[in-house]
Parts: sequence; C-alpha cells; structure tokens
Amino acid sequence: MTSFIRRNRTLLLIIAIVIVIFGGTIRTMEPKVWVSIMLSGLTLASLYFLVASGLSLIFGLMDVLNFAHGVLFVLGAYVGLSTFLNPRLFFNTLPVFFMLIAAVMMAQHLGRAFWPHVNSKRRQHLANIVLLLAAGSILYLALRGFPIRALNAFNITAVGGAVTTANAQEPMAMMFRRLLLVALAGVPIGILLSPRERQEEVPLRPIWQTALISGSAAVIGIVLLLVRDTGEIWMLALSPDFRFLLAIIMGTIAGALGGVAIETGLIRPFYGNPVTQLVLTLGLSIAGIDLIEAVFGEEANPPMPPPTLFGQSCRSDTFINWFSEHCQSVDVLGRAFPTYRLFIIVVGVVVFAAVGLMLRRTRLGMIIRAGVQDSEMVQALGINVRRIFTLVFALGSGLAAMGGVIAAPYLGVFPGMGAIFQLQAFIAVVIGGMGSFIGAAVGTIILGMARAFGDHFVAAGIHLPFLDAVVKGSPAIARASTVLIMALVLLIKPSGIFGKKE
Amino acid sequence: MAPSQKNVLEVRNIQTFIGQFHILDGVSVEVPDGSITVLLGRNGAGKTTTLKSILGLTPPRSGAIVFNGKEIQGEPAFRTAAKGIGYVPEHRAIFRDLSVAENLRIAERKSGDLARREEFIFGLFPDLKRLIKLPGGNLSGGQQQMLAVARALVPDNQLLLIDEPSEGLAPVVIEQMMEAISRLSAHTTILLVEQNFIMASRLADRYTIIETGRSVKSGMMADLIDDEASIQRYLGAAA
Repeated sequence: MTSFIRRNRTLLLIIAIVIVIFGGTIRTMEPKVWVSIMLSGLTLASLYFLVASGLSLIFGLMDVLNFAHGVLFVLGAYVGLSTFLNPRLFFNTLPVFFMLIAAVMMAQHLGRAFWPHVNSKRRQHLANIVLLLAAGSILYLALRGFPIRALNAFNITAVGGAVTTANAQEPMAMMFRRLLLVALAGVPIGILLSPRERQEEVPLRPIWQTALISGSAAVIGIVLLLVRDTGEIWMLALSPDFRFLLAIIMGTIAGALGGVAIETGLIRPFYGNPVTQLVLTLGLSIAGIDLIEAVFGEEANPPMPPPTLFGQSCRSDTFINWFSEHCQSVDVLGRAFPTYRLFIIVVGVVVFAAVGLMLRRTRLGMIIRAGVQDSEMVQALGINVRRIFTLVFALGSGLAAMGGVIAAPYLGVFPGMGAIFQLQAFIAVVIGGMGSFIGAAVGTIILGMARAFGDHFVAAGIHLPFLDAVVKGSPAIARASTVLIMALVLLIKPSGIFGKKE
Repeated sequence: MAPSQKNVLEVRNIQTFIGQFHILDGVSVEVPDGSITVLLGRNGAGKTTTLKSILGLTPPRSGAIVFNGKEIQGEPAFRTAAKGIGYVPEHRAIFRDLSVAENLRIAERKSGDLARREEFIFGLFPDLKRLIKLPGGNLSGGQQQMLAVARALVPDNQLLLIDEPSEGLAPVVIEQMMEAISRLSAHTTILLVEQNFIMASRLADRYTIIETGRSVKSGMMADLIDDEASIQRYLGAAA
C-alpha cells in the first residue's frame, strides 16, 4: 500500500489538489459561477504558462534560473503595444537595428583577418579594451539625442482605431548620419565577436553569403526609413486585427532577440558558475526594467484596446455566434465572459500543443529532452549543445514576450507588470517540477485556479458544507494560497510534481 | 616507438586540471589502428579523465592530442566527437526519458546513419531490438550498457572510447559484453578503460598503465600478463 502511494504520488497529488479546490467550492456553487471562475483561472494560467514554460525549459537544459524573464515579458508588452498603436517608432528605430546587425555581420569577416595578427594574450586583452571603447563611443555619438521619448508619445483615441503621435521624427539627413555612425560602430563590435580559435576549424559562412544577408538587412533598413511616412499611414490603415497579429509577432521576435542577447552576453561566459549567472540575471531584472522605462516612459499606459475581433460592444449568445459578431463577451451558462480572455486561453493551449509536439516529435526536441538530463553526453555525441542552449533561450524568451503582448489588452502596460508574473511562474515551475514542460503546464493551471477561486473566496465567501455559515477570506489568503500550495507540494514531493532533477 | 603501424590516436604528455586539482600530470597514450588498447590503473589514477580529455570534455591545459594525424587538442567536445570518436561513458549516461530508438537516433550525424547501421547493431545486441520502444530508464544495467555501446556505433566512428563496460554487471552479461567488444574491434579501433584485469587481458592488444595522473608503463598486453612484478606493483592485488 505504501509503495503504491509512493509510486503514484504524482497522480495522487494532482487528484488531491483538484479534490480540495473543487470539493471545497463547487458543491455550494452554481455551475455558472464556478465555470466562469474556472475560465478566469485558466486565463491567468495561460499567461503564467507562457512565462513559466520558458523558465522551466531554460532551467532544465542549462541549469540557469533566469531572473530577467519578467523583463522579457514587459519588453514584449511594450513592443507589442508600440507595433499596434505607434508604427512610427518602428520606422525610426528598426533601420538603426538592421544597420547595426548588417555591419556586425560583415565585420566578423574582418575579425578573421584581424585576430591572427594579435598573437600574445596581452595584446588580445588590449585589443579587446580598445575595440570596446571604440564601439561604445561611436555608438554614443550615433545615438546621442535620439528623440526616443518623443517618438513614444502617443494617445489611444479609440478602441483599436486611429491614434495621434507626437510629431517628433528627425529629418531624413539626420537619420542617415545616425545610420552611418551606427554602421561604423558595428565594425569594432563585429571584430570583438568574431571567433579567435584556429582559423580552418571554425567554419564561417562564405563571404558572399554574409555580404548578401547583411546587404539585404542594410537595404531593408534604409527602405524602411525612406518610406516611413507612407509606411506609417499604411500600417495604421491596416485592420486592427492584422496589426494585433503583427504586434504578437514583433513582440515575440523582440523577446527572442533579447533572450539571445542575454544568453550570449551574460550567461554563456559563465557556464559552470551558476552564482555569477544568477546575480547577473538578477541585476538585469532591475536594470532591464529601468532601461524599458528609459525608452518607453515610466507611466502606465491604459490597457491596449483588444483587436476588433474581440471588440464589438455586444454579447454573443454562443461561441458560434461570436464568429460572425465578434462581440467582446460571450454568454457562458448565463454569465457574460470576455471573449478576449478566451483568446488568451486558446493561445496558451496552442503554445502548449506546439511546443509539446516540437519536444516529442522533432530532432531538436529530442536533443532538448536529452540535454535536460545530461548535456555533456549530448555534446559527446557530436552535437553543438551551446547552440541548442541559445536556441532554447530564444524560444523561452520569445514565449515570455508573447505572453506580454497578449497580456497587454488584459492588464494594461506598465513597467512593473512582469514582476508578479515572474514570481508566479517561478512558483508554478517549482510546483510542477523544475525542467519539466508538462510540469510547468500543470503548475500554472493549479496556480491560476487557486488564484481565481481564492479571489472568489475573498469576494463572495464559501458556504461551508453541512453548516449554515459563510466563510470569507482576506485578500492576503488569496495571495498566499499559491505559496501555501507550493509548500504543500514540496513537503510531499521535494522535486515538484513532475520533477526529476533534485 | 617505431611508427611501423599507423596510430589512430596519439596522446602526448597532457596536463589536465579540474578546478584547482591537477588530475593528469603527463599522460601519453598511443592507440594503433585496429587495436584494442586498455588503460589500466588503480581507482582515481586518472583513466576516466584521460578519456574525457581526449574528447575535450575536460580540456587539457597543455600537451598534444593527435587524431588521424590532426591536432585536436583545444577543440570543443562536439567538434572532436564529430570527427569520428564515439564515447561510452562510465555509468552509461543513457537518456532515461528517451526511448531506446531515440537514444540511438540522437547519435545520428547524418540522416540515415541509423538505417545503415541497424543490422550490424542489432546483430551485436539482439536484445535491443525488442526493447526499441521502451524508455531508456526502464532498461536493466546490462541492457543500458549495450545501448550505450550501440549508441556509439550509430555514426561512422573510427575510434571508440569505452569506460568500464563491465562495471556493476552480472558475470553472464560481462561475458556478452566482452564478446561484443571483441567482435567490434574487427571494425573499429578501441580505447578501453577497464578495472577487471581478466577482462582487460583477454580483450586488449596493448596497455598503458596510469598511476596518479601519469602514464608509467605501456606495451603489448601479452608481455604484461607474464610480468607478475608490474602487475603487483601498479595494479595491486586486483589482478
């Protein structure tokens, strides 16, 4: 009997939690009430999941606790909001990024010719410092006085409709000067980043391929800048639904790129030194939010209007009707429930299915699952694990940022929005089991439910079974419930419900 | 020392540190083409670290490692492995959550590697065929060891580094393992770490003895078997 319990404690634990949550609440509740509470719980769970899945994958594969994950969530939200409402920002900033990337890529080839001439360790050191200083100072010159705050000023006028932006574009000539300087700054950065090991062993793309790729990046950047006025009008005339899709894509890409930057810049030099990594990501979690405030402003934005697909002020009777009416709420057993929140749930489910399939069915997924257990052995099979690390970091960061974008219409956009999600995601990952993808999903569902039912418990109270009493909780209980669940789970199974790592 | 026979691998005087600890202090090993060479020595002498240093998992600080006439010291492990070195680590390192089939498929370097080698692998380890769908974690110790060797056979490897294949196995299974390894040596060169002297002496053509991080003696296995004094001195009562 005891061995049965021990062997199946994962399952028993889930059943126990479900029984407690449901048993304590459902029997005295009308179905329409608990169904809508459950949907609210799933909405939260879906957002938690988008943050937690990446955290869990990153921890599982690299043993890195990324405290900066919440920053990526916020970054996603801001990039999404700007794409949705203020394309002007992108037409004025993207060319700069494209130019920088193009120059860095080209300069890597220069680096291959440069480093062999720097043979002593001391000279390499000196070269590093000189290049860093050069890159920094040219970049400073390039970006000094860039009117980023003004470009960010915009007002939301109508639900998903047109917006006014402050007229803060710099003249074209000034922008081209900046582009030139940025390209110049890319040269020392590219040399810094180019491989210094033995030449013949490090395969780099043939130079014509690099020229083609970076050349087209530069051209795209310049074209974006040249068409910025018509482009903006064209973007704003697009259907808000399409712009929202664009916002999700841009936000996710920005998050993924941010993840790559964090992994290559802060994490990679310190594998095998987890404390340093921890402190660095912790530091970034503070500095990153400051940086976002510096670029996007620190005041909270009003909630981003949901796309018109979920924005008509009406109430559909059934889900089927919603497809033709696009109402903002839908009738669930006689209670109105916002359709946008259902959309959030759907996104969570789709991401869960897609990443789950990727992990189960593709070679990349197989390598990730193997790496979670023993990345050294994966390396010994001839697989470049470091590249997989970067990829998974990008994936996890992209998902967190996507969570930020889709949370924007639901929560509003403000610099502190990531902190609570990061904390809850951490708790969910601990509950579900560090490094387990399924665990992250189950953990977030438990947390979302606990939060939603907890809030109801605070607002409406619970009829105690067999008694005539109504017990109301304090808001503190609802907040503490997640931590209580975590403590309970860890007491029974210290590695989390699906955890394998100790 | 005369290079009459081509060496697939030459390790020359490597020094390896792990953190502050000086683990290898001058290890040299030669592995001639087609041979089975065994690393002998007491526990903690540095045999496993030698294998890991060759692969680049614990890169040596100095010395040279030449594989197929090319210097590979300082390369990241994945690149070294991709040049044609298979690794069967101590404790097998089977991926527990992956099925047996996936454990084999992950070792492919080109698509189709497994299909090409399937017959050979299942000929060597018929048991694996019927376990193919099971998670690696459900296999017995002996089955895991077979899977670990099979995994190293999937791509075209010219050299196998096999670490203690008999460790923790039942005598019957050890017998099977020896049989498999000796059949393998017809196809590939093997550098073996083995504590079990009887197994080592029956399998290996050449030996190198490592003592406290230094290679102290090497030569033909046939000569060592008669050299009671050396066996006693370097390997202790274990022989």
